Amino acid sequence: MLHLLKIDLKKLTNYRTFWVVCGMYFITLAFVTASGMEVLKFAATKISDFGGELNITRVPFYHFPDVWQNLIWVSGLFKFVLGVMIIISITNEFAYRTVRQNVIDGMSRWEFLQSKILTNAVLAATSTVLLFLIALITGLIYSPELHFAEIIDDVEFFPAYFLQVFGYLSFALLLGVFINRAGLTIIVLMLARALELFVIHKVVDVDLLTPYFPLESIEGLITFPFQRYVFLEVLDHPLITTVLSAAFWTFMFNYFAYLKLKKSDI
Amino acid sequence: METVLSIQGLTKHFGSLRAVNQLNLEVQAGQVFGMLGPNGSGKTTTLGMLMGVVNPTSGDFRWFGQQPTHTVRKNIGAVLEHPIFYPYMSGQMNLEVNAMIKGASKASIDKVLDVIGLTDRRNDKYRTYSLGMKQRLAIGSALLNDPKVLILDEPTNGLDPMGIAEIREIIKRIAADNKTIILASHLLDEVQRVCTHFAVLRRGTLVHSGPIGDVGNGEETVEVVAFHDDLNHILMQFQGALTVQRTNGLAGHVGPFEVKLREGFSASDLNKFLFEKGIVASHLLTQKKSLEKQFLEILAEAGPENKKPR
Repeated sequence: MLHLLKIDLKKLTNYRTFWVVCGMYFITLAFVTASGMEVLKFAATKISDFGGELNITRVPFYHFPDVWQNLIWVSGLFKFVLGVMIIISITNEFAYRTVRQNVIDGMSRWEFLQSKILTNAVLAATSTVLLFLIALITGLIYSPELHFAEIIDDVEFFPAYFLQVFGYLSFALLLGVFINRAGLTIIVLMLARALELFVIHKVVDVDLLTPYFPLESIEGLITFPFQRYVFLEVLDHPLITTVLSAAFWTFMFNYFAYLKLKKSDI
Repeated sequence: METVLSIQGLTKHFGSLRAVNQLNLEVQAGQVFGMLGPNGSGKTTTLGMLMGVVNPTSGDFRWFGQQPTHTVRKNIGAVLEHPIFYPYMSGQMNLEVNAMIKGASKASIDKVLDVIGLTDRRNDKYRTYSLGMKQRLAIGSALLNDPKVLILDEPTNGLDPMGIAEIREIIKRIAADNKTIILASHLLDEVQRVCTHFAVLRRGTLVHSGPIGDVGNGEETVEVVAFHDDLNHILMQFQGALTVQRTNGLAGHVGPFEVKLREGFSASDLNKFLFEKGIVASHLLTQKKSLEKQFLEILAEAGPENKKPR
């Protein structure tokens, strides 16, 4: 399995676009999540009314345990960039027809897909680790008091975040396997969530089913946290039903990609 | 002799089109096997099925007597249609990826770069290579795992005469190395030069299969030019002549006579006959039956091209 991962990483690490896109992704991710407090402080000094009603430095954005969920939710906004990278990677294989040559050279179709899935897992894991480090460091800096129980509270969001990124990348991979063209696939990825929301609210419109839609359950793993600062209740842990639903869809994305690849003449 | 490949009833339909129809074929170890056929006759589809990229509609084939799996494919080097590599990577890097897939050693990369003469350009990006170099890199990649069988599909397609000669040299060298080669081509001359056996496909159906040696046998045709007003008549008197035909020369000139000989007669008999008649031939050329001729005959025997088999 490690061998398959190495093959795919070798293809990617020799590809300049990979470094550009992933560099952009990880740098933006790190910068935005790490600098939030300083940006707010800066805004407070420049804009007279900003933060007037409540002292911005006293809002516990970066305090343990809030910092975990806050930063994870924000970084979830950037996973589209990683999705684009995965689409470029898989559609290149179809455009150059290298998937065909890989199979001729002795990869099974499942091994080929496995190498892509493993790369997805590595990228999701890297995002998770990076975010953990940033949240840990900023939390240590900005939390007024440190209690171990508060620090480890809510860290279950990290496995959920891993599943979120991995599931999303699996979806991007599936689209790439079915559509084969980079531009069209990226557009579909962009519109997919909006399309799903339309189906949820205008076509199906059954509240009970809503959390179990594919992208909805993946997004629902990390609930929007910031309304807690205006004294609304926030779900401060991932729901097990949502986790199961997201895991199920992630599995199905990869399984459908496998079926498609197995059936088609490449 | 060891059977390298046996195909039974292999069939592929693309919708209503029968690309390959009930193909049966055997390739023995050490053969250089030419697959002939016009464009679109199903050669590449057949090879695609043999290499696991096209799913057969029905039928069966075995490599080395085993069920085909991806592990078996690692020991078969194949270039189908045209070279396929990652354009943004160097030749070296591309070979490294393929060596990882095939489980070949890194040392084998240096060796094949040497065989295909690309050692100097190994670190240049693939997209900067000329077509001939791409084709050679593809053959090199196919040789990585020191395969027992090599499959080449139109390896000289689109190359200039020098490139064609280079590829032909490489193929001959590989064949001398006791490897089995399956060569698909529509260039008959190419197949005749390098192959030991050949099969002819037409519209997905096998219409002939056998050794190349057969091709040269059979009746001979002799081209004759001599200055005599009634040469046609005199040639008809020759008892070894089966038919006499006047060919059209270039630009209105009179072309040579073509005399088809009965079996047992040769050009020297004809020469002697003419000499006894007091005629000296200025041009006498024995034409062996070329593969091209036989190929066209085989296709003609198989029925008219535009008739759709149902």
